[in-house]
Amino acid sequence: MCGIVGCVGRDGDAKEVLLSGLSQLEYRGYDSAGIAVTGVGGPLDVAKREGELQALKDAVEDRSFPGGTGIGHTRWSTHGPPATRNAHPHTDETGRVAVVHNGIIENYAALRDELTEAGVPLTSDTDTEVVPHLFARYLTEGDDPEAAFRRTVSRLEGSYAIAAVVAGEDAVFAARRHSPLVLGVGADENYLASDVTALVEHTREVVYIEDDQFAVLRPSGWRVTDATGERVDPEVRTVDWTAEQTGKSGYDHYMLKEINEQPLSLRQCTRGRVDELAGTVGDEGLDGLDRPDRVQFVACGTSYHAALYGASLLRAAGVQADAYLASEYAMTPCPVTSETLVVGVTQSGETADTLSALRIADDRGARTLAMTNVVGSSAARECDRTFLLRAGPEIGVAATKTFSTQLVGLAVLAEHLADAEGADPDLVTALRDLPDLAQQVLDESRAAEVAEEFDGMDAYFFIGRGLHYPVALEGALKFKEITYEHAEGFAAGELKHGPLALVTGRTPVFAVVAGDGALARKTLANVKEVEARDAPVVVVSDGSQEVAGYADRVLEIPESHPATVPILANLQFQLLAYHVADRLGRPIDKPRNLAKSVTVE
Amino acid sequence: MTVDTAVVLAAGEGKRLRPLTEHRPKPMLPAGTRPILEYVLDALLEAGVSDLHLVVGYGRDRIQNHVGSTYRGRPVTYHDQRKQLGSGHALLQAADAVETECLVVNGDQVVSTAIVRDVVAAHTSEDVATLAVVESDAAPDYGAVRLDGDRVVELHERPGGEDHHLLNAGVYAFDRSFFEEIERTPREEGELSLTRTIAWLAAEERSVRGVHTDGVWRDAVYPWDLLSLARTVLRNDDILTEAIPNGGGSVTERSGRDGRGPRDRREERNGRGRRRVRVSPTASVHEDATLVGPVDVADDCVVGPGAVVGPNVALGRNTTVRAGAVVRGSVVDVDARIGENATVVDAVVGQGVHVGPGVTLPGGAADVRIGTTVHEDCRLGGVLADRVHVGGGATVLPGALVGPDARVDPGTVVRGQVEAHGRVSN
Repeated sequence: MCGIVGCVGRDGDAKEVLLSGLSQLEYRGYDSAGIAVTGVGGPLDVAKREGELQALKDAVEDRSFPGGTGIGHTRWSTHGPPATRNAHPHTDETGRVAVVHNGIIENYAALRDELTEAGVPLTSDTDTEVVPHLFARYLTEGDDPEAAFRRTVSRLEGSYAIAAVVAGEDAVFAARRHSPLVLGVGADENYLASDVTALVEHTREVVYIEDDQFAVLRPSGWRVTDATGERVDPEVRTVDWTAEQTGKSGYDHYMLKEINEQPLSLRQCTRGRVDELAGTVGDEGLDGLDRPDRVQFVACGTSYHAALYGASLLRAAGVQADAYLASEYAMTPCPVTSETLVVGVTQSGETADTLSALRIADDRGARTLAMTNVVGSSAARECDRTFLLRAGPEIGVAATKTFSTQLVGLAVLAEHLADAEGADPDLVTALRDLPDLAQQVLDESRAAEVAEEFDGMDAYFFIGRGLHYPVALEGALKFKEITYEHAEGFAAGELKHGPLALVTGRTPVFAVVAGDGALARKTLANVKEVEARDAPVVVVSDGSQEVAGYADRVLEIPESHPATVPILANLQFQLLAYHVADRLGRPIDKPRNLAKSVTVE
Repeated sequence: MTVDTAVVLAAGEGKRLRPLTEHRPKPMLPAGTRPILEYVLDALLEAGVSDLHLVVGYGRDRIQNHVGSTYRGRPVTYHDQRKQLGSGHALLQAADAVETECLVVNGDQVVSTAIVRDVVAAHTSEDVATLAVVESDAAPDYGAVRLDGDRVVELHERPGGEDHHLLNAGVYAFDRSFFEEIERTPREEGELSLTRTIAWLAAEERSVRGVHTDGVWRDAVYPWDLLSLARTVLRNDDILTEAIPNGGGSVTERSGRDGRGPRDRREERNGRGRRRVRVSPTASVHEDATLVGPVDVADDCVVGPGAVVGPNVALGRNTTVRAGAVVRGSVVDVDARIGENATVVDAVVGQGVHVGPGVTLPGGAADVRIGTTVHEDCRLGGVLADRVHVGGGATVLPGALVGPDARVDPGTVVRGQVEAHGRVSN
């Protein structure tokens, strides 16, 4: 997973345009970064540095880059350690072409051997380096730049979004397969990026490049062609995100900003989907969707926890439903029929594992639904139906507001498929009230105090039952992602079947106890089990059960519908993870070894 | 002169408006359906400001989440005032943002574009400070100003008495040198106050300009002032900014936070052009409901069958007025729920308040106690602070102040004050 940017027609400030685009994409990777700039008749200037983008910015601060055409890259390592020699752009040995790439070239070993035999010196550990060398060879053989680029790409197997420039040419050449690439349309200037967030500073008119398409950008215009070289006429879309929406709004971290803006995200997500007068819930993406025989969710990471919640809700409504880790689903796909609905839950809509699981399901004849936050993403374009989360851009690597909106989306989906006469009126009310209840949790949370009390322990365990089990898993995942402390989530009833052996006086246990049913009472019994082992206990409680006698600390949430309680309980765990990570001084928006959306399998 | 940079002072709580400020600062209290702060920001933008700086402190999350990184496409920078050490101290937090001269505006009072424009037009490079002065009977309760021509010769904070008629509207233009003057002003009980620096400069006969303006200025001091503030903006918010056309038909407004561009609102006026009914396109009003202008129904609201809403009602974002309820002369803040057949008259209903079915706030005049002061004969049906739950069939008598998160049991009668998280039972 990496970020790519490109621009043409920016004489005088190409460096600034590329660096600012890379800043917006830094969440996609931050092991190393680089840019290459050229212009008509000019040289090709390349600069790259190991480490975060700031290292590159410092290095080029006093350097001028003549020309208005350029490409840039921010990297998350898949091949070779983060080092300046492995940073993009990669060039051929004469410095005539420069290439940036996101994805994995699966046949790079064969291409490398071929080039080495031909006497080409390769200097990096990356799969990408073969690309500029092939490109340069074809140029030397007399191909024009576009033909040479197409010929180069035709040699590649695997996944890629590639952008290339040639010294002295005011053009950017690009191609895509299974990695996102978006073209930004301006006046006498055009842009390219992995993600619209890097474009909206310059233009809101974008073209999503499809798999196996090529694009050539020049100051005078742009052209998209298919694999055979035929020109295609793609739709120019207008994105409604503004560059400013991706600012930090006065917060130290994007994650805290995104946690705090969840009431707004929930408003946007529920708007038009909850009709209080008619007593219904729905979405145009679900119109006409009949109750399937079974539902299979495919997802990764945080989205997988949302999927577990969705499957639980559907089973409660009498629909056979299961959640699968997308990477495992692709290994041993489940039987599907035309009456099976496969739902891909993916914030970015570009998660490679989820996309391949959806493609397998589609090939086998299932109906597909994408639940995603990104309009025009691969998942949204490839699935039969799309449910948009409308959470707004999420920059922090740790998913927060997108998880909350995923749960809302899944509650709406489950209610839609539940096949009842009208929606559960309590759920309609609960979804209307949700933005305020979320605001209430944010206003009154004592998670910062709990973080202060319990940081520096040996391990952190999160437990819950039923719909609270996914919350426990997500609470632990968020915690480990950004604090680097050991955390695990368990189904509360599983504790005594093994994990209880890990519980000591130095392993705080965080439990979700809400509602007045058997579920809460049983979880409370599990809380007593860990309390008897001297573990400090923190209970997320809606006040329906008397928990003060068992809990060292209580994190309160307001009473709500069973389907919305997990959203509120999770807010407390998000804040807890944030405050512990902040106390430990972790790079919260850019945790080590992680990237926002994982576009490699 | 033109001024590009503005600093908005939005760090204070507004203690006299308790219990409404338990979770949010005064700038975020509603003037109609929008926070007071939005009117301030609108006035600044209409007057040509392009660089907005907000000094935040108390309840800063609420402001940052609402305004975001930009307001109507202009960048917004936040400056944190960690300790509440006065308005001068607040302004110093934003000192780095100012290169030459800047506008400074209180974020908790509604001001019109005209006031800001007048200050910008009058300020010259010779002046250390220029301030807007408006004529008002309330002058003795605010910063009372004496002018000699266009020079400010005296500025007294809350002098009392009756011989002051000009007040400081809290809209200033300052030269960069004013920041040093703040630091040079002797502290009073450890605090630095803007007006003290101005008064000190005036006393030293430095160039402090006063602009006598007839632009609109409105403040809320006590909870019931939110009702008159709402009446002001419901009847004539077009005198606050020049962006909203005066004619009939539909108006176009900018949505506050996301800059997604113009947003159409349905609008109807009666023959005299005064009783405006505005309904957001994302609101749902049942065909058997009645809206009586002036009334403003914000985004995502729901009004059920048989409900009568208005006149002089502001329904904030995502509120619900259920079947048969009657709401009149009231401000209903975001996410509140008014139950079936409830009657709500002359009331301030806070965020996330639940008013049960058949609850009555009959409205009318009453004596209201704030702190140790009794305000006699205020027209106030009651104040329900944020997230109060009133059980079905309860009656809230005029002048009642119910603290945040209080619970009122069904069928009870509420009078006087109820503390935060309190409970009223039979």
